[in-house]
Amino acid sequence: MTVPPAEFVLPTRFGRAAFGGCYAPETLMTPLLELEAAFRAAQADPDFGVALARELREFAGRATPLTPAPQLARATGLQALYLKREDLAHTGAHKINNALGQALLARRMGKTEIIAETGAGQHGVATAAACARLGLVCTVYMGATDMARQAPNVARMKLLGANVIPVTAGQGTLRAAVNEAMRAWAARCDRAHYILGSALGPHPFPTIVRSFQRVIGDEARRQVLAAHGTLPEAIVACAGGGSNALGLLVPFAEDNLRRMAVEAGGHGRELGEHAARLDGGRTGVLHGCKTLLLQDSHGYTAGTASISAGLDYPALGPELAALAVDGRVEVWRASDEEAFAAAQQLCALEGILPALESSHALAALPRLAREGVRVVLLGLSGRGDKDIASYERALKSGGAA
Amino acid sequence: MKPVLPFIMAGSPSLERLPALLAEAAALDLEAIEVGLPHSDPIADGPVLQAAAQRAIARGVTPVQVLECLARCPSSPSVILFSYFNPLLQLGTGRLIALLRPTPVRSLLIVDLPHGEEAEFERELRAAGYPLVPLLAPTTSLDRAMRLLQERPDPGPSVPFAQRFAYVVARLGVTGAAGAPDLGLVRDRLAALRKITGRPLTVGFGLADAVSLESVRAMGAVPVVGSAVVAALYEGKSLRAALHAE
Repeated sequence: MTVPPAEFVLPTRFGRAAFGGCYAPETLMTPLLELEAAFRAAQADPDFGVALARELREFAGRATPLTPAPQLARATGLQALYLKREDLAHTGAHKINNALGQALLARRMGKTEIIAETGAGQHGVATAAACARLGLVCTVYMGATDMARQAPNVARMKLLGANVIPVTAGQGTLRAAVNEAMRAWAARCDRAHYILGSALGPHPFPTIVRSFQRVIGDEARRQVLAAHGTLPEAIVACAGGGSNALGLLVPFAEDNLRRMAVEAGGHGRELGEHAARLDGGRTGVLHGCKTLLLQDSHGYTAGTASISAGLDYPALGPELAALAVDGRVEVWRASDEEAFAAAQQLCALEGILPALESSHALAALPRLAREGVRVVLLGLSGRGDKDIASYERALKSGGAA
Repeated sequence: MKPVLPFIMAGSPSLERLPALLAEAAALDLEAIEVGLPHSDPIADGPVLQAAAQRAIARGVTPVQVLECLARCPSSPSVILFSYFNPLLQLGTGRLIALLRPTPVRSLLIVDLPHGEEAEFERELRAAGYPLVPLLAPTTSLDRAMRLLQERPDPGPSVPFAQRFAYVVARLGVTGAAGAPDLGLVRDRLAALRKITGRPLTVGFGLADAVSLESVRAMGAVPVVGSAVVAALYEGKSLRAALHAE
């Protein structure tokens, strides 16, 4: 590895709020500088682009289809609805796009080990699969609470050869898993690369993740123009950290249409009852970046709640938060109950079982229709097999699990 | 007392005990002591300091309470306030400086704030007499170390040790890692750093036993003892016992 530049070259901040940055311990600064240099070199290398495109096509099954959903459109009061089917990507969610990109980058950097965090387990499964394919050792940190509620994904990661380490600290969710993954990376950064799965963390992670995920929106743009003839009036995606939302929305950033991200409204409006960062969060620093953060008045990170492990995180990714603050993306919330209802509706009307995360985006459709929107493109970020146990409980209780 | 820089977590075992601990440190003739503000997401800390911070937060200890408590510690060595950035960001620079004024705090070690990320904050703190401590990790090249030492310069021998030293991280990973660091590597690292700086150096991360402390002193640096001290204090030991001073 050549000596990394002394400073970052790419922009480290986003929007008027200057969210983002690199609030990292000194031990990680040189690895982060090296990572940015390797990412820039890879982006400039046509061979890397060819190799990634081939993996996305031959292994991940891209391009994912765009599926018209006429029954759901009618039921929610829309004229037309198109679903971008990331649930049909290999391993069942959009996470594979970034996992493959970063795994190829890690191999290029001469790293032999991969560290990852996971919430719902989708990023963990995607990373485990990418590592198995590329011959990299994989360790995934996952909150103990999330391991219980996303058990099928834990089994999948283990089958794919990953070492899954339970994290019992805090609430045992994504936030605790990121803490532990960052500690593990600091201990093994000489040989390991950390594949962060959300568009958050210290620079250059938010930029790298967004860059590997924008394939979603690039494809969707071509597909929706081919299928509908014009752009939709609104594009909607769910948002945990923001990798799926940015990946879908960024290629439409300059278009005259509504860009929507839907957060987890959980089961209440009080701090600790949801993961809605836009109207509940204040500017703060967590996990290496400055962004909108759910926190108490002392600067301690607040607890969160959501039926969806993938959205159950106290900070909005810095670029998405900046776009929201600058009015370029609208951020809504959907409750646990609304997400469940929307999932059942998609199953019944279109024959598609969505992930609980994606169901939050679906829950926004009736409101968009009420506001006069007629044509919507929706990012169906993942499939719902992992959430079967939660759906069963909801069916039995007739509402939220 | 031989040179050593202890780290204690404010609020562990209890905030009420902080004044007595600082008085004991002063009685031991320690030049400085690191006092940690508890944080909810201590990404650079190992299990002992995580647990100590969690206990403090669970007992309701807040950054303001810690700073107000420090203001009531008349007998204390110079305090190096250890913190993550977010609690300080939430206080705001003006309020933070006002709260620091009546305390024995002489510098801040903000583990997740590289120089330049919050230039205005760092400038205002320095101007008010609270410089930030430069950290040098095993991953920090000598070129980079030279730059970090210039960005957070040594004001010279007229100011207290707490405002002069650079913190050398002895190993990759987090605080309190099991097993002593490779002291041969630490020796080589200190020798290389000595060629680029004359300021006092401390060495920390994983130092616990008396032999390691003595080895670091023999290398001309001050050993930092954190997790071992926090664990010993939690077990009810005195600071003197925790530092192998008996």
